[in-house]
Amino acid sequence: MALERSARPLAQSLRCTRHERIALPIRSFTSSTARQETETQQQSTKPPLDPFTVATPRLERKLLREQKKIPIGSRRRRAAMLTSPNIPFVELPYQCFQEARKYLQEDRTQKLEEIRVQRERIERLADKVVVDPSEQQKKNHRLRSMRQYLEELKILADINDPMIKKKFEDGQGDMNKPIYRHLADKKWRSHKRLLLMQRIEQMHVTPDVLAKVDPIVETTLSFTGPSRADRHRVARMVQHGDIVDSRVSEKAPTLRIQPFQKGEKLYTIAVINPDVPNVAADAFDTRCHFLACNIPVSPTKPYVQLGRLNKEQIVLPWLPAFSQKGLPYQRMSIWILEQPPQGELPAGSNDALPSKPLDVKALQENEKSSTRENFNLRGFVGHTKTTPVGVDLFRTVWDEGTAGVMRRAGIIGGDVEFKNKRIEPLPYKRLKENRYR
Amino acid sequence: MAARFTRPAPSMATLHALESALASFRISQPTIGKRFASHQAQGRANKAKQGPGKRLGAKKIAGEYVVTGNILYKQRGTLWFPGDNCFMGRDHTIHAGSPGYVKYYRDPLKHPKRKYIGVVFERNQTLPQAPGTPTRRRLGMLAYQMPDQEEEIVTADLTTAPALENDAAAPATQIRQEPQESRSVTITKGKKGDRQEIKLHLRPGGMYRQANWEIGRAAERSKAAMSVRPFKPGDRFAAWRKRTARVARSAERRAMTRGGKKSKK
Repeated sequence: MALERSARPLAQSLRCTRHERIALPIRSFTSSTARQETETQQQSTKPPLDPFTVATPRLERKLLREQKKIPIGSRRRRAAMLTSPNIPFVELPYQCFQEARKYLQEDRTQKLEEIRVQRERIERLADKVVVDPSEQQKKNHRLRSMRQYLEELKILADINDPMIKKKFEDGQGDMNKPIYRHLADKKWRSHKRLLLMQRIEQMHVTPDVLAKVDPIVETTLSFTGPSRADRHRVARMVQHGDIVDSRVSEKAPTLRIQPFQKGEKLYTIAVINPDVPNVAADAFDTRCHFLACNIPVSPTKPYVQLGRLNKEQIVLPWLPAFSQKGLPYQRMSIWILEQPPQGELPAGSNDALPSKPLDVKALQENEKSSTRENFNLRGFVGHTKTTPVGVDLFRTVWDEGTAGVMRRAGIIGGDVEFKNKRIEPLPYKRLKENRYR
Repeated sequence: MAARFTRPAPSMATLHALESALASFRISQPTIGKRFASHQAQGRANKAKQGPGKRLGAKKIAGEYVVTGNILYKQRGTLWFPGDNCFMGRDHTIHAGSPGYVKYYRDPLKHPKRKYIGVVFERNQTLPQAPGTPTRRRLGMLAYQMPDQEEEIVTADLTTAPALENDAAAPATQIRQEPQESRSVTITKGKKGDRQEIKLHLRPGGMYRQANWEIGRAAERSKAAMSVRPFKPGDRFAAWRKRTARVARSAERRAMTRGGKKSKK
């Protein structure tokens, strides 16, 4: 049959009894003996779960439960991996592929040499003593551009490596290395960031909360769901701008803040609702549902559990999202503000400056930053000299659970219903009625 | 017999020569236009005439006070687009979305060519708003105390619900006041093993039957339909398994029918 005569005879299922023409055990491209292979075959009656080869939903759940590992790649790929010999790239018997690898390796050594030369040049220029301030300025500018080129070279050296591409796609990239950060940034900007910006603009989060935002960190929001029968809590991922059930958003969420720049920085997180009804003024106010400062986040430690921060970090603890009956949806915008750096770096260095911690006590005592109602984020950003680097959004509407959520949180107004104000029709209509009466 | 005495007809060439010789003596040229027996009356034949006026155009001028839902502009296509606090109807009509004053404006930051109609809340406000400023919005709602959850009144058959206070004529009109839904009857129908509950509604004309759309969807609730595994659009793994099985099946069938000759490669 065509299937077994194709390039990959091992693509067929070994368990399938129809293909009895295949002699078991199958010899792959390894140099080991057949005896060893039979031993592995015997073991495969109950093989240990491997995140690369679990191919059924049941086994995936088992892997997650027992080993706390997440399966890697698509299910289809994992199913194929079950029967593939999984030969490393170096041993693949394809001449053209190996020639291409050789070519790429040559290019890499060339790039590494260029990096070395560029490093030396930077050092030499940095050591040069300049007196004239205009000369100094020129030197600094040159050092900065040289450093920029060096960073580009670092990425160019690795960008064509098939192993790096594979590792990144498997989610095993080391975010300490510039190449993986570059790939992750590119991936984020290709789709997720566009989607986020669309939601932020179409729902007018900018300019309603802040005038504009240019996100450079990826944000992923998840709430812990209700515990299941096996006492296992399932995190509920929230797409940007999703409407979240009020019972789900009762507890503080977990934020994944993924920076793509080197080093640990301190961030301030604020959750602002710009849709608070104000009946007296016939307008909308803002409310701060959460405010915390000095939260350390680095490319390798992106998770922030808003409910488990220190007391020294929190200015305003989590207030559940709620929307009274009859109101339109309430936008809960989450802002990631980067705190200003301590001092200034010498030009041309690649170190990450530590951020300046904010004085939380002063913020708690300041009436403007410690009152939830009418919280002005524009004023806060200007006052603390922070810069918005990330944003996320979820929405909330009145649902069956909202009254309970409000009662448990001690918020009054769970029994208030909003109804449209009657608008008097223009007088000519009334005239018409009078005439025909 | 008469045909034998008739003169033979002159040839075409002779006639033509005679015609051209006589042409110079003729006073009027031969008419080119022709009239036919019938005349096309339908379709595009006689050029479409202008129909009645459609009363398009501005219904409210700039600065005029409008309330929600007022028609501001009637148009074919989008000469004007809905701006702040406005919305566009099905036939591109621009309506006011909230009470206020009409503004006609352009917003080059939003779109370089479009013309917008918007509504502002105060007479002195202008459109478009300065970039970066929060959008001007009105709540337009009032807060009411929600009524306490009343106990649901359960009525048995042949008893009427307790009449409201000050409602003298309540018992007499009770049946009419009840929703149509409450008169529906539920019956079971179908063969053994495939029995289904069917709700018959009181239709106009006093007959009890299912609505047409319910009859049309009856097949979906049948036993055969329920036994089908529901289609999940995103389930690529199931799709892959299905396809693989199909490919294997067809390969096997081909091998059976042609003696496996064709499948060799």
